[in-house]
Amino acid sequence: MFGKGLVKGLQITWKEFWAPKLTVEYPDKQHPMPERFHGKFVLDVDKCIACGLCVNACPNRVISLNKQKVGKKQYLTDYKMDIQYCLFCGLCVESCNKGAIHFTQDFNMNQYFYKNIPLVLVRREAPAEPLEEPATGGEEKPKPKPKPKPQAPKEEKVAEPAPPAAESEAAAGKEGQ
Amino acid sequence: MLRTQEYILNFGPQHPATHGVFQVILTLDGERIVKAEPVCGYLHRGIEKLAEARTYTQVIPYTDRMDYLAAMLQNWGYVQAVEKLMGIEVPERAEYLRIISGELSRLTSHVLATGVYALDVGGFTGFLLCFREREKMMDLLEELTGSRMTTSYARIGGVADDVTEGWLDKLDKLMDEMPGYIEEYNGLITGNEIFQARTKFIGKLTPETSINYSLSGPVLRASGVNYDLRKAKPYGIYDRFDFEVPLGTNGDCFDRFYCRVLEMEQSVRIIKQAIEQIKEVDGPIIAKVPKVLKPPKGEVYQEIESSKGIIGYYIVSDGTNKPYRMHVRRPSFINLGYLDEMLRGYLVADVVAILGSIDIVLGEVDC
Repeated sequence: MFGKGLVKGLQITWKEFWAPKLTVEYPDKQHPMPERFHGKFVLDVDKCIACGLCVNACPNRVISLNKQKVGKKQYLTDYKMDIQYCLFCGLCVESCNKGAIHFTQDFNMNQYFYKNIPLVLVRREAPAEPLEEPATGGEEKPKPKPKPKPQAPKEEKVAEPAPPAAESEAAAGKEGQ
Repeated sequence: MLRTQEYILNFGPQHPATHGVFQVILTLDGERIVKAEPVCGYLHRGIEKLAEARTYTQVIPYTDRMDYLAAMLQNWGYVQAVEKLMGIEVPERAEYLRIISGELSRLTSHVLATGVYALDVGGFTGFLLCFREREKMMDLLEELTGSRMTTSYARIGGVADDVTEGWLDKLDKLMDEMPGYIEEYNGLITGNEIFQARTKFIGKLTPETSINYSLSGPVLRASGVNYDLRKAKPYGIYDRFDFEVPLGTNGDCFDRFYCRVLEMEQSVRIIKQAIEQIKEVDGPIIAKVPKVLKPPKGEVYQEIESSKGIIGYYIVSDGTNKPYRMHVRRPSFINLGYLDEMLRGYLVADVVAILGSIDIVLGEVDC
């Protein structure tokens, strides 16, 4: 009979009409992201030995790093990812032998200005040689010493990008006015 | 005799029903199509050329970007080709994980094709209904691989990660629910009289022409040609599963659409069996492969059944760590080749119905 299929379709639609909602109101509520989600990168600076395996593993040459020789060890001074070219394939994370670089669940990497897009994970000065050498070359005890050192610049670094962003936003606001 | 003048109509490149950026230059006589000239290449990224400057492992993320709706199947075809070239034996558990994630990818692709086809012929509810299940499957893929669409899950010699705890149970639960959802699609879309009127006996393909044009996938099987690589040349461990190859009879738009719906049921069957069997298989998920892959000199061609048809990878190796040449037989591109003759003689309103029934992905057409 013609129209039978239409009626059945309407029944299904009517049933769905009363079904519970599956969507959430996004900015206020969020679905939890799974553990393996390929989101924003973080670098565990203490674990990184600046070997450059991740740089070579990347198919798109997203990662660039700079290092300086301090005493006997390589000291990572710059670690930058041109995140706009990143494929989020995870080959860099896989290549890291020390487990220094990994993904987070943070997917929001929006920026208002192009210059803020590159993800600067490390930017710091290499310490003066005499200070570093006894710390790294010594016994086990002084080992925790270098830890606070990278952390301190890290905090600075975190605080650093905020003011320019605020400035630029303010500037943009002015322009808008 | 009095005739109306023929005129040219540009369908696309910015048209939502072309599923991307794709242009068809239609020559029309009134509302009848006299000639159709497909123009592709708007999404060309040169993936084959890019592969020549990447190591063998680094090519994997690029294969995702071809058919991004069933990315795992693209990965799988590529890694199989390299494994064949190097003679790598894949561990059994990795084969099962590839089957599960690959069939899940095929399901997401077919669910999307079903929903979008409903949208193409004017049914918006069917589209949203299909997206609901697709979202659930993509959540599962995300939990397994970390990405929703561009999975990059296969590795040369195995897969990237093992399943997380409880993942298989979640998948099993969804696969139990899936036949009910497919029933809903049938009730809402397939059984709809308006939908049938728009698609039945439109864009007919005979078995001979589909073989001559080397079409593959659901487009070929809708014409009644029983050729599915999973059955014809079982690769991986497909010979261990019990499933059927759904066939059409008329080779029209409706058959092509319905073939996909029936294939979804078969994919669910395969996944259910794979979940049962993988529980008894333990072991490594990746074979022992050297860190720097240098396949021996030579060339290889390996093809697998993707969601759109047969995807084949032809790789030439010169003994270095980068492929000398890679060529991909993309099913969407080859299935599109018959579009001109398929459209001739039909009305302008049927263009979207016929184009949608081939189920093309422009990322794969343009590569």
